[in-house]
Amino acid sequence: MSLLKKNKFIVISLFITMLGVGVWSTYHYVFGTPTKASEIAPYFTGEAKEFKYLFTEDIKYWNNKVVQIKGNVDEINEYGILLNENIFCQFEKNIDVPENSINQDLVIKGKVVGFDELLMEIKLNQCIIIK
Amino acid sequence: MIRITLLLTFTFFSGAICNAQKYYTRSGVTEFKASKKTFEPIEAINKSTTAILNINTSEVVAQVFIASFEFENALMQEHFNENYMESSTYPKAVFKGKIVNFSKDALNKISSFDLVGTLTIRGKEKVVKTKVTVKEHNKKLLITTGFVVKPEDFNIEIPSIVKEKIANTIQINIKYELVKKK
Repeated sequence: MSLLKKNKFIVISLFITMLGVGVWSTYHYVFGTPTKASEIAPYFTGEAKEFKYLFTEDIKYWNNKVVQIKGNVDEINEYGILLNENIFCQFEKNIDVPENSINQDLVIKGKVVGFDELLMEIKLNQCIIIK
Repeated sequence: MIRITLLLTFTFFSGAICNAQKYYTRSGVTEFKASKKTFEPIEAINKSTTAILNINTSEVVAQVFIASFEFENALMQEHFNENYMESSTYPKAVFKGKIVNFSKDALNKISSFDLVGTLTIRGKEKVVKTKVTVKEHNKKLLITTGFVVKPEDFNIEIPSIVKEKIANTIQINIKYELVKKK
């Protein structure tokens, strides 16, 4: 009898826990905010020049993929930096743009927006500095 | 004689190229609103729009990556990309047009112009005619405009189950800060 009562308690507890997890998951799925690039594991980690080579092999594949690349800063504007001549990294907040980083090597993580045919650049956004 | 002709031709074309002053942005803001008052807001913002204005010819071109529209709600963003815009098949929306009678030198007197062009979304083209405001501030050209489109203009089918929640017309607002291209 006491074993039955104990089992009943475990079953009810398990049911409530599962219900709670289910409600939380559903709520998160329906009302959750989009995941930022900083929270996603990168599909590619390596040198910018290697990424450029892989990107040109299959441009569409890389759209919306998060990558972490090391490159040299060629240009800075108020929204982002240009790495290795033609990878534009747009930062989430303008305040995060690293001033005085011209000619420095930086490791940047960001989401690939796509290939910008107007400026002939690879575009990343939601960028953050890793190193 | 041939040398002189070649030299003149080269001078003419190099002069034309040098004089082709362009202003551009990589981070233009494009937003759309398709909300109905009584339902949750259906709107998104894209801060990664590329736009170029040739001030000699008044031609303007803008390109926006569909998948970089950011929503408040992840599920809405997923549906927008996968079900309505099919952003993996049609990753970009492009506008090509002209600012009618535009003159950078006259910006201190006039700031409102007519904008005419073609908007291409999901491979479908639509002629857009609207007003555009161009102002010069701190060596930048600030461009603001807006226009309305309909989902059926671009063969976007809205399922009947959500049709009541989405507005029949979609307001597109644009705000670009263009800097001179070196």
